[in-house]
Amino acid sequence: MKAGMIVLLGALTARAFAGDIVLQKTNGDVSIRHGVEEAWSAAAAGDVLKSDDTIKTGRKATAVLVATLERGGKAGRKSISLPPEVIVDLSDIRDLTQEELMLKLTMEKVRASSYQWKSNEMHMSPTTAVHGDDRSPGETLREVDPATGTMLFNGVRVLFNNGFYATCALKGIQVLRRYPVLDDQFAYRMLVAESLERADLRGEAISEYGAIADLAGLTAEQQETVRTKIEMLRKP
Amino acid sequence: MTTTMTFGQAVFGPRETALGNSGALVHDSRGFTANPSGMTGIRDWDFNSGTYISTAVPAQSFVFAGIGVGKHFLENHYLALQYSPGTSIDIIQPATVTVIGVNLPADRKFSYAEPFAAAYAYRLSDAFSIGLQGRVVTESVNDPQYQFEIKDTTIVPVSKEFRATTWFGDLSATWIPSPGVILSALVRGLLQAHGSELPVDFSTYRLPRDRRLELGASMSIMPSLTIAGGLSTSGTGSAGVEWSPGWNLSFRAGIYGDRDEKPFFYAYAAGIGLTYAFVELDAAYQFFADQAERRGTIFSGAFSPSSLRDIGLNRYTPDRASISVKAILGNIRESLARIEGIEMLGGVYPSAYEALAYRPIGKVRVRNIARKPIQARVTFFVDRFMDQPTESTPVYIEPGTAAEIPLTAVFNEQVKSIDRVTIREGTVSVSATVAEEYDDRAQTRVLIHGKNDWDGNVHNLRYFVTPDEPSVLRTSREILLQNKDSLGAVPKDLTAFRNAQVLFNTFARNLMYVSDPKQSADYVQYPTETLKLRGGDCDDMSVCFASLLSSVGISTAFVDVVPPNRPENSHIYLLFDTGVNPKFGSNIAANPKRYVIRKSKAGEDTIWLPIETTVTTRGFEAAWSEGAQEYFDDVEIGLGLVKGWVTIVDVN
Repeated sequence: MKAGMIVLLGALTARAFAGDIVLQKTNGDVSIRHGVEEAWSAAAAGDVLKSDDTIKTGRKATAVLVATLERGGKAGRKSISLPPEVIVDLSDIRDLTQEELMLKLTMEKVRASSYQWKSNEMHMSPTTAVHGDDRSPGETLREVDPATGTMLFNGVRVLFNNGFYATCALKGIQVLRRYPVLDDQFAYRMLVAESLERADLRGEAISEYGAIADLAGLTAEQQETVRTKIEMLRKP
Repeated sequence: MTTTMTFGQAVFGPRETALGNSGALVHDSRGFTANPSGMTGIRDWDFNSGTYISTAVPAQSFVFAGIGVGKHFLENHYLALQYSPGTSIDIIQPATVTVIGVNLPADRKFSYAEPFAAAYAYRLSDAFSIGLQGRVVTESVNDPQYQFEIKDTTIVPVSKEFRATTWFGDLSATWIPSPGVILSALVRGLLQAHGSELPVDFSTYRLPRDRRLELGASMSIMPSLTIAGGLSTSGTGSAGVEWSPGWNLSFRAGIYGDRDEKPFFYAYAAGIGLTYAFVELDAAYQFFADQAERRGTIFSGAFSPSSLRDIGLNRYTPDRASISVKAILGNIRESLARIEGIEMLGGVYPSAYEALAYRPIGKVRVRNIARKPIQARVTFFVDRFMDQPTESTPVYIEPGTAAEIPLTAVFNEQVKSIDRVTIREGTVSVSATVAEEYDDRAQTRVLIHGKNDWDGNVHNLRYFVTPDEPSVLRTSREILLQNKDSLGAVPKDLTAFRNAQVLFNTFARNLMYVSDPKQSADYVQYPTETLKLRGGDCDDMSVCFASLLSSVGISTAFVDVVPPNRPENSHIYLLFDTGVNPKFGSNIAANPKRYVIRKSKAGEDTIWLPIETTVTTRGFEAAWSEGAQEYFDDVEIGLGLVKGWVTIVDVN
């Protein structure tokens, strides 16, 4: 049953990933993480990468990817340059339809809200209630490294620069959610809003610009930038 | 010389009089002689009695018209009797005889009466009934004569009485082609039996005995308005209307036509009815356009017995006011609702039987057959598998309209003892306003599946998760107890994660993946069975692991993957909540593709791990990696969640 399903998934994703992604050129420390593996391994020019791989460039490293993409019904090759200190999920190097993007954004909104599944059925409390929580001090967990978040956002910018506005917006929202410390950074939020704007989701873009305008600590220039964007988008 | 008459027209009650006496309007023992098959409205016992007063000269006081009784028995049988002494007409022809120069009175008196009637009706179906009735009609002549007694030279009056009795048998039928429409037909005088006859000298005074067909129709054009009409082969017709604005009141009006009368529409009537509890009061006033022969006296030569087709209503009938009272006794509750159909929405899956207490198992179409809005509720009962009938919430239904009421069912534990598909009888009842009695009852078939059957709906798979089963609790407790030392060193925030890890690894060592034993329907093992059999397919494994995790307070969810156009490749795996805040995600995994950020039961974002439970033998790490890869492929790359072919269902 599973084998059949994986074959089918290959077919389902064929539209987005018309061909392989080849690491054409590397300069410096470039590494790859395959699928859901934990470890990074060194990458070299000529490596053929999969859609579920992730690529990372080091401090002074750069790389060039060549992806075969299907755009406007035609398969074509696209060269994507990666600057230093970026992390890019190769699954994001694809185009989503506006409908797919809207559905994903809606799901993100639902996920971000305090939505909980409800029905007419009687609410049954969990069988094992945890009373008397363990109050003994335990080992403190380490928080996610903001530097990783920054690298991920650099990757988001790569997506934007290469016209993958849908995946750029979605990834930007995910990274901001995973790295709340980045949430108030004006540039990142603007990148998400601009990608929504470029993806022709005017209403979503206005909403995002509106949220940015509400951020605390914006400079007068930043406020003016946001206001101008909103006014421009509101024009018929 | 004039003929004097005294009248009685009590065959029809005031309700029938005011409505034009259409047979289609007969629905109880009142006026049943117009259509005995219409008596199917008798609830149990019916009693009615009436009186009237007419404007004829000489003026009369109120006259007792008669009394009737009706009985509904053996479900579809109806019987009624009527004693109507007031249904009579007396004609007195004044005459004198002169004997030896002395004028002596010799008035002849002709009397006609219909004092008794009995009827029987049988309801063949809700829409069709037939009726048969017998009527006794008497004709009598009192002819005074004088006898001269020679012995003492006196004249002695000798009254000569002649009496004839005829029994008439009438046959009728009532048809209700659609709700609110009633059609009736009566053949009057179909059977005739003569007990005795008037002497030949008085044969011209016999009543007409011709057979005739009477047709009636009524229609409720709106819940508060009914119209009716009737025609007969003897050239008579009538029409009436009844308006019931509420407050238990009805207003009525009727018009009568006869081709032998001038004008054709020769009579009019108006009336009112009042219902209070089990008593109905009716009053009517009937008046005639031409009063010439309706004042109690006519010229002798004008009297024509052949015009007395009906003793109750004929060319000599005067204006009259009538009043009657009807009482319903015995089982006086009126049916308010009727079941029109039952639709079962599927079978009963014992595994999810608790859900049927909230999710409809079927629906019942109930019609309001009363004249006022009702609150109807239905109950559903399956003997042995339910402790008592499950009642729906009340549903408001307007008069004459129907509503679909969902059926829910609270089954007892017995239902989980069913090993294979079984068909049982289910009883559906409907009651309105007062829930103590049933207005209707019907049987339906209920398909109850085996306890391990699953309908394929992932939402219902949750009901196989039984964290409170002793064997599940024992297993999870024992595993955690065995690893108490190593788990004690785990940071508090990672407790759920580590507990799950340990549970799965131990669980994995003891179990083996096997495919579903049944191809036709999904067969899901309860966790107790999986633990006992030490094996199962993906559904069984997911259910068992979800139960173990839930038993130690860890939230779980099923990921149901139904690839488009390939439902046979459906698959289920598991997510469980580590309870870890996403900002600590790197403590769970360096690669964020290995986890999912979802809302916890408390509504906060936490890290959930996808687990492929079928790779049991390879341990937690492999099951996690496999689950994470599947989730990434299904949800992130394939967009299955937003496209609807991936569903995540929270288990608890």
